[in-house]
Amino acid sequence: MSRLNRNRLEAGGLIDRARPLDFVFDGHRYHGYAGDTLASALLANGVRLVGRSFKYHRPRGIFSAGAEEPNALVELRADARREPNSRATVTELFDGLEATSQNRWPSLGLDLLSLNRFLAPFLGAGFYYKTFMWPAAFWEKLYEPVIRRAAGLGRAAREADPDHYEKATAFCDVLVIGAGPAGLMAALAAGRSGARVILADEDFLPGGRLNTMAGEVHGQPAAAFAAHVAAELASLPNVRLMTRTTVFGVYDGGTYGALERVADHLAVPAPFQPRQRLWRIVARRALLAAGATERPIVFGGNDRPGVMLAGAVGTYVQRHAVLPGRHVALFANNDGAWREMLDAAATGANVETVVDVRPNVAPELVEAARARGIRVFTEARVIATQGRTLRSFDVLSPGGRERLAADTLAVSGGWSPCVHLTCHHGGKPAWNEALAAFVPGATPPGLAVAGAANGTFGLGAALREGAGKGAEAAGALGFPVPPLDVPQVEDAPFALTPFWHVGESRGPAFVDLQNDVTAKDVGIAHAEGFRSVEHLKRYTTLGMATDQGRTSNVTGLAIMASLTGASIPETGTTIFRPPYSPVALGALAGHHRGKDFRPVRLTPTHEWARAQGAVFVETGAWLRAQYFPRKGERDWLETVSREVKAVRASVGLIDVSTFGKIDLQGPDAGTLLDRVYINTFSTLAVGKARYGVMLREDGFVMDDGTTARVAPEHYVMTTTTANAAKVYQHLEFCLQVLWPELDVSLASVSEQWAQIAIAGPRSRQVLAKIVDTGVDVTNEGLPFMGAVEARVMGGVEARLFRLSFSGELGYEIAVPARSGAALAEALMQAGEEFAITPYGVEALGVMRIEKGHVSGNELSGQTTARDLGLGRMASTKKDYIGRVMASRPGLVDPARPCLAGFRPVNGSSRLRAGAHFLPLGARPETANDEGYMTSVAYSPHLGHWIGLGLIVRGPERIGERVRAYDPVRGEEFEVEICAPGFIDPEGERLRG
Amino acid sequence: MADRSPHDPLAGIAFDRVPPAGAYGVTGEPGIVVSTAEEPFIALVAARNGFGASVAERLGRAFGGPGLDRPHAGFGSGSTVVGIGPGRFLVLSRAEADLPGTLRAVLGTEAAITGQSDAFVLFDLSGARVPDLLAKGAPVDLDPRVFPVGDAATTLVAHIGATLWRSGETGWRVLVARSFEASFTRFLLGAGAEYGLRLEGRG
Amino acid sequence: MRIPCPYCGARDAHEFAYLGDATLTRPDPAAADAADRFHDYVYLRDNPAGRHQEWWYHANGCRQWLRLTRDTRTHAIEAAEPARRDATQADMPGAAS
Ligand SMILES: [Zn+2]
Repeated sequence: MSRLNRNRLEAGGLIDRARPLDFVFDGHRYHGYAGDTLASALLANGVRLVGRSFKYHRPRGIFSAGAEEPNALVELRADARREPNSRATVTELFDGLEATSQNRWPSLGLDLLSLNRFLAPFLGAGFYYKTFMWPAAFWEKLYEPVIRRAAGLGRAAREADPDHYEKATAFCDVLVIGAGPAGLMAALAAGRSGARVILADEDFLPGGRLNTMAGEVHGQPAAAFAAHVAAELASLPNVRLMTRTTVFGVYDGGTYGALERVADHLAVPAPFQPRQRLWRIVARRALLAAGATERPIVFGGNDRPGVMLAGAVGTYVQRHAVLPGRHVALFANNDGAWREMLDAAATGANVETVVDVRPNVAPELVEAARARGIRVFTEARVIATQGRTLRSFDVLSPGGRERLAADTLAVSGGWSPCVHLTCHHGGKPAWNEALAAFVPGATPPGLAVAGAANGTFGLGAALREGAGKGAEAAGALGFPVPPLDVPQVEDAPFALTPFWHVGESRGPAFVDLQNDVTAKDVGIAHAEGFRSVEHLKRYTTLGMATDQGRTSNVTGLAIMASLTGASIPETGTTIFRPPYSPVALGALAGHHRGKDFRPVRLTPTHEWARAQGAVFVETGAWLRAQYFPRKGERDWLETVSREVKAVRASVGLIDVSTFGKIDLQGPDAGTLLDRVYINTFSTLAVGKARYGVMLREDGFVMDDGTTARVAPEHYVMTTTTANAAKVYQHLEFCLQVLWPELDVSLASVSEQWAQIAIAGPRSRQVLAKIVDTGVDVTNEGLPFMGAVEARVMGGVEARLFRLSFSGELGYEIAVPARSGAALAEALMQAGEEFAITPYGVEALGVMRIEKGHVSGNELSGQTTARDLGLGRMASTKKDYIGRVMASRPGLVDPARPCLAGFRPVNGSSRLRAGAHFLPLGARPETANDEGYMTSVAYSPHLGHWIGLGLIVRGPERIGERVRAYDPVRGEEFEVEICAPGFIDPEGERLRG
Repeated sequence: MADRSPHDPLAGIAFDRVPPAGAYGVTGEPGIVVSTAEEPFIALVAARNGFGASVAERLGRAFGGPGLDRPHAGFGSGSTVVGIGPGRFLVLSRAEADLPGTLRAVLGTEAAITGQSDAFVLFDLSGARVPDLLAKGAPVDLDPRVFPVGDAATTLVAHIGATLWRSGETGWRVLVARSFEASFTRFLLGAGAEYGLRLEGRG
Repeated sequence: MRIPCPYCGARDAHEFAYLGDATLTRPDPAAADAADRFHDYVYLRDNPAGRHQEWWYHANGCRQWLRLTRDTRTHAIEAAEPARRDATQADMPGAAS
């Protein structure tokens, strides 16, 4: 099999040659091994062209070996699992992997849209701003479709994601982010102390650069040392080693966001495994050991496939045993890159040329290179490249200009510490002149930094710093930290001369490879005055692609600094915000998608209602029966009208368990109620209920409902379904904050009691059949607004209330929730002789509008008790919440819109809620607005539509006609103002 | 519908129905067993201002447990007392049919008593992976090393209000408002499927 | 954000409902200038950058109202006191705004 991997070394690397894997790229079948990434496997097979660039469709290859990859973005998998913009460099190879290149049409080799390259002069910096300013209509019809076709990234899947995602929370004493040398030592130091440690790394193999380097640590190959430490960590019960897990954000209170790719390395997730798991990690201390990212030097033709970061070349050679090419050259400004190439050469890479911008390079490096037959150019630079994939490059040196052959050009401009997470609380990185890099500035509370992420580039120093800071974190939390035997590694001196951009470049020199931003674009931004970093980014889009400018930000900043003549820190810093790398929306949703978007609450009679054929409606979290259609009914209106008529003619039942129910007990319960309701409850007789209205402190209505006194020191309050939690919280505020001296205890009993309302002239007869002997439900025994505790259905405890929302004789019967369905059955049986009819919230709504009762549409938070015609309920003998503010001039203005009823002048018009009222003949403009329709219903009782609404001086204008204007639906109709209360205005039905 | 994979444990189960008893998720010995526990009598005790400690102590003496006014579950024979807020306790009993009456006798006028026998569904979860399952819904540290037997927490589990406590080495109890039974069971099945979960029928 | 509830322990802010300024005291409704005082109580708010006292309700926990001392810039929480204890202990004479 290995002969198929023509660029694979015969031995070495951290791949499992016993586990060959098949994969497909752009329809061609290839082979790789367990331990490969898609990028390393492509290179092993000699595939160098893997995509086209975003804007100019230039051919692109593999640029890095990690999360910073700007070029090698592919569509991974197919159909519903297709995921665009997947970085080949961090995609773990699996058997059967399918990937497709992006941004090419019709094929990768022949891309007709690479025409964009010839348009490059027009597509430069500010292109979007300059080209598409006018006319606006062109955007939709012309510009956007063309741009979407020509530029842009991969295609999202068109079907719903079939996989399962989930969320979880973890807690630890010490979170270590990154399992490289510093992270491993930190986790070991903290882990051995007994602290609960989480070590997270985005790679599938812990070790970081220990896995990509040549040489030994602690007397064994570096990768073996990493494996040894990881094995010890995995064996400690107090340590959780999380591979394939990216910590992407730092939030308040030591909370970290992390994404675990549970099954991204498999063709499909294992049975019942999620694809990804979103972790919220709460850590008392955290240590960032995320390493550093190599950055390139910008030169002409630096985007050609075959140009690659020097560290990436090292990674492919050492970790994957892959030669990225046959003829390797290096272009660098630092010693580290030389060592990387010398190691690669020793491992088997054919390194032929080294180009360094520095005039003086350590003699031992130059000698070592020459000893391997490598040509060395100092004080030199690469100015151009040639080939569809790299064939040759031009060097400019004191010796003149020369063209050299190479299929791989390793490039290194230094290293940028991965400071991202340190910025998530607003901390700004600080410029370190010696390292020519931004290092962490102020860090979020509890977060320390170690290793290369902290600018500690030497391996020995990183190991020591990791161990020290891991011990420090655990020690600060009181864990006894045993001394740790830190491997001794001698670090070569850090030697780098900052160098960013080859001024003599021929051809476009790219700063941001993913967004196709060139050094020239930065120059244009400068020339046009967009010189601050934030302007530069927005004008050129530099650093704004999915790679978030990992390989381009600092370089872009440095080029701008050289143009303005300011220093880099004067020019600005780059700030990073969460997430560190993209997070799928599916992972953020977890279990909560589709019907599980949020939990639903089911009433005690839900199954019973389903059996009755109910159609359900979501009201808040509750599912309630909306109506109960019967065979032959044409539409919901016919069903609802039948239900309403049945109630008014005989009897019906509805589950009202969703109302909030609160028990108030204690000697001061009446006092509390007097202070929260506008009317008085302390004088309510035991065994009676009363309708109450409560205000917010600003004088507007908060909620309404009936409250009954069941014992001298025991009241039962009902609230609207929507406000149940809010009212409970309000009462607790009154008791805990405003009047802690009141002796009242609250208990929510919403879930304890099932409550069913029966209404209609026959309801008393039905009730009489289900109460136990001795319970008096006559008009005298249980008068209107009566409330008693009783037994029903042969010993079931119950609360009986004689209340009515529909305007008919009615009762509410509460029984323990588990008996709710039995109560419904019992009522159906008892009511059979009266053709008792189950009705839903629609019919209830019709009846309350017919009766003129206010409900949610009127309790809008902008209405006062007076607006709703309830002002006379307000007591003048006591204070209550909202009293003072309700009496301010603006709220007692007689010209405020007040509740009234409305009927169409033309009896057949359908009224519309939301329609605004205008005087007849007045123009539809704000100055003429007199209010609006809040609720409408078709009244089967009256045979036409009716409405409730708020209109200026409503009660004084009964009989007047106004215009109801509905611009949303393009309708208008004439209505007559009437009293709210279309049925039985004297309330005889209720009291009969 | 939670997802469309061939391994959706909730496939074909209506979202507004309590899922039926049975085995869910990976086959073999279930990692988690869920049942609805039989402790049918529940009452809320709310101490009057200043009586929290005294009420806690009386409850401890009468029903077992250390009698502390903190988020803790005390176990007696056939009864459990769980602290859910300062001076607020849920008392669960297997046998006391007139639990409010008994409590009034024990506490006199020091607390308000409210019957809540029908307000909750009490889930019994057992298995070593229960903390892992609960971690998928509860933002509370339930690691057995820091959440010993008897510890309790009132919190949200998968957006559903819940009071949970550790009843044994690998035993957990979760009290959930009755109206949420179907949604909460769905969460358990979705989150527990990877460990294998057996949902037992109503006792 | 994590809120250190004195009863429940540190909990995620999602479990809590926020009300706002905890330095205000409900005015005496019988005062001659009650209308003005209530106006201020209901509508006037300082918006300090830094240390602030706020009401938070542990809605999905112990149902306590807590008086939090929080730095609005850093979200660092200095103290979380139950309202009932703090209200019964301090008499707060003349604390009206
Ligand atoms: Zn709490």
